[in-house]
Amino acid sequence: MAIANALVPARDTRALLIKWIVGLLVPIAVFTFIWSGEAIINNALLGLLGLLGVSEISILIQVAIFILIFYATVIALAGYLVAADSGLRGTIELWIDIAVFVLVPLFLVLSQGLIIGLALCAIIWVVYFFARRRVYKALNYTPPTPLLNLKVLDAEQRVEVKNRAIMGSFWFSAALAAVWLIVDLIFYAVGQLPTTLLVWVAIRTLILPVAGYFLGMLAGAVALRRTVAAKNGGNGGNSADGGGGPASRQSQLQVLSTTRFREEAKDLVPNDLPLRSSGAQRFYLILLVAFVLFYPVIDPFLFGFGTNGRLAGYGDAGYYVILALGLNIVVGFAGLLDLGYVAFFAIGAYTWGIFGSTQLTNVLNLAPINPHLLSALFWPMLIVAALVAALFGVLLGAPTLRLRGDYLAIVTLGFGEIVPIVFLELDAYTNGTNGIVGVHSPSFFGIDWSVVTPVPYYYLILALIAFTIFTNVRLRDSRLGRAWIAIREDEIAAASSGVNLVTTKLYAFGTGAFFSGIAGAFHTAKLGGVSPDSFSFGDSVIFLAMVVIGGIGSIPGVIVGALVVYSINQFLLAQLDTIAADPSSVLFAIKNFIITHGIQGFTFGNIRNLVFGVILVVIMIYRPEGLIPSARRRRELRHTEDEGVELGALDVVPGAPGFESEVRVE
Amino acid sequence: MGVEQAVEQTNEPMLKLAKVSKHFGGLAAVQDLDIEVLPKEIISIIGPNGAGKTTVFNLITGIYRPSSGDIQLAGQSLSGLSPDRVLKRGIARTFQNIRLFNNMTVLENVLVGQHTQLKARILGSVFRPPRVVNEEVEARRRAIELLSFFGSELIERQEEYVINLSYAFRRRVEIARALAAKPKLLLLDEPTAGMNEAETLDAVKYVRRLRDELHLTILLIEHKLAVTMGMSDRIYVLDYGRKIAEGLPEEVRRNEKVIAAYLGTPTKRGQESQEEQEGVE
Repeated sequence: MAIANALVPARDTRALLIKWIVGLLVPIAVFTFIWSGEAIINNALLGLLGLLGVSEISILIQVAIFILIFYATVIALAGYLVAADSGLRGTIELWIDIAVFVLVPLFLVLSQGLIIGLALCAIIWVVYFFARRRVYKALNYTPPTPLLNLKVLDAEQRVEVKNRAIMGSFWFSAALAAVWLIVDLIFYAVGQLPTTLLVWVAIRTLILPVAGYFLGMLAGAVALRRTVAAKNGGNGGNSADGGGGPASRQSQLQVLSTTRFREEAKDLVPNDLPLRSSGAQRFYLILLVAFVLFYPVIDPFLFGFGTNGRLAGYGDAGYYVILALGLNIVVGFAGLLDLGYVAFFAIGAYTWGIFGSTQLTNVLNLAPINPHLLSALFWPMLIVAALVAALFGVLLGAPTLRLRGDYLAIVTLGFGEIVPIVFLELDAYTNGTNGIVGVHSPSFFGIDWSVVTPVPYYYLILALIAFTIFTNVRLRDSRLGRAWIAIREDEIAAASSGVNLVTTKLYAFGTGAFFSGIAGAFHTAKLGGVSPDSFSFGDSVIFLAMVVIGGIGSIPGVIVGALVVYSINQFLLAQLDTIAADPSSVLFAIKNFIITHGIQGFTFGNIRNLVFGVILVVIMIYRPEGLIPSARRRRELRHTEDEGVELGALDVVPGAPGFESEVRVE
Repeated sequence: MGVEQAVEQTNEPMLKLAKVSKHFGGLAAVQDLDIEVLPKEIISIIGPNGAGKTTVFNLITGIYRPSSGDIQLAGQSLSGLSPDRVLKRGIARTFQNIRLFNNMTVLENVLVGQHTQLKARILGSVFRPPRVVNEEVEARRRAIELLSFFGSELIERQEEYVINLSYAFRRRVEIARALAAKPKLLLLDEPTAGMNEAETLDAVKYVRRLRDELHLTILLIEHKLAVTMGMSDRIYVLDYGRKIAEGLPEEVRRNEKVIAAYLGTPTKRGQESQEEQEGVE
């Protein structure tokens, strides 16, 4: 009875429950019934029961795990959102947002495929932002400031937060169970649902609410960790300052300036934009990791045939992520402009290319190494390739790092041009313009690494990306990372604080090149060879564009930047002509219009680079700080105007008389 | 002051500049400058705008190399050392127009100041063995301890980006960053510039406390004469890159050349320095 009582919502909670349950249930229902959610589950169940008799049990288990994680996370998310919402923002506003940011992508990805669908979404989102700003202006509406949310919660209120989370999850899963039951009964009546599954329908309807109750407790715990607790507990909300001793959380918040205040408020509970708070981001992260990990098995369910081609494409996108993260150390952390980053990529690629094929043994007149042994040697050679690249990073850095800014960029540019030419001319080792072919594929515990299935490469690149992210995060938050950022901020102050400029910059170049070497070796392994024309100046520029567009210095930003730029360049623009060949598409009409009204023989391939350039320019105009800027970078751009004078003074080269000129008015 | 020096029982100067000159092209920013700073002294360098005071600091800390002459710390020459090496020898400094890492937090700024005190290398940073974790925890504890030198206000603001701080707070963070390197000698470039009267008085207090509580030797550049007179043990006066006077505050205050340099008409000043230059040649 106590449990039952606890689940009856109070009036103000009821409004929140409706807001979030409807908001989340609609997209989930679309995914489950219109897309493939239900199909995935039913297939997995039938397969596990041995009734479908098709696929391997391991795949079905993986699918089941994914589904379990997916629904559990969404249910817990519902609880968290109900608990964390301050109720300051309106329900309709939220529903429109969810429709635009979740439903629209769902439908577009469903109908157009992942990349094209997301590209169309990006366009729609931009339009939506514009429209929303206009509407706000017309209505004279300003969103409430997050500062209103900053509340210290006493013990009673904390219990209430927890209860709301439980209610949210419970009612959400109950509603889901009910809807699902109705839909399944309709399917059954139409004859689309096998009778055996009715048992599952019954079990599910009972289990979901119970699971919701417990997931709600979990969500409550997540929400509670982000509340500001009263210091001595129980004495009421305003006695936070009572204790003396170290400053309490609240008084700390009070002395902080408004900007900092805002940043704090963004993540605390209660929150008026709970969908964006860091608590909700935890749940998104779980969803994302589950999706990426299980992608190879769920891809056929989601997008139908052609899984191998798509997986191979995403594997390629992966090494660009590593490259961008590596370059981010040099450009983003240490602030050194590197225009020749492709050189290190080439070094990594050729290192494994020469060693992993018959090149080396042929040149040295040795007996060829046993192919099995060679395949196993990929793993140590991956590290060797990275270290060789790092070594060259240091070698390049040593003479050039006394240069600053533009000059350094020019020297790296030269290096980026020289290295591929050297590889081209060293025919004996690199086979010149023909490149290296027949590089052995890696071997690992009897997994099939042949080109037929890209799955092992998919997981290999995932592991490499995970390693790169881990390393980057650790480095950023270390003594070395602080020194890098200090150099970027102010070289003279950094040197005067004991940072050795030359060694620290060399570390940046070496570390950046290290990751580039990893990417290179992976590239060669996946391709089964090296082609000398994959290392042009244009590639260096693309890598740089990935870093800048994603958000200089921001690790999540750079990952997104790499994926976005790669998708635009390789998937979207490369496929424009293919899409235009389809008479039903908009592009077909555009193409015809252009051909009839002006340019004969027009193809989208002709203007591919133009379109790419325009897209980059547009992104930079509207988001100069990048797609997901780092906190530092955002602030920096915002403060540029106030600091104009000081920044100018810092530009003067030390040693020039102007450097220390005393420009003071006193 | 004399008593204290006797207690220290040392007349070995901590910092010694011998006949130091610095030329930028034809412009002599500093000429034949001799400065001696004894341990636990607070020494001021004063002079009108463009007198070369900051150049002296840049010469000491290795940002510039002297055209001629020698700079010694505790008897060892600093010539040819890069700024980070000079810091390791025990000289930390602040800057006239505050050079903090603006887009880093207060705590991070002080942590960068501890760079030479920490030992973590690249592999240690990635794999974080207990040694590195402990070092990092200790560094943070020490950073907060350093901030506590200026009262509780900076501790409360430790997570704040320095760009959001008031001018006076930024000055303090810069000093805390310099202290983080455990220097023997602290160079303060106009520690009261841009401050109002209350803040200036406060600054004078903590400069004294730096010496009395942390036993530092302090060389500072100051523009406000009253401030200098109040806190310095001795004063050097620079004009056009030359030392025109030195001594106790009282002596300097009455020195005619100093009065002329500070208050005299431009023409008079011009004539004087011309005479001086002729005298040299």
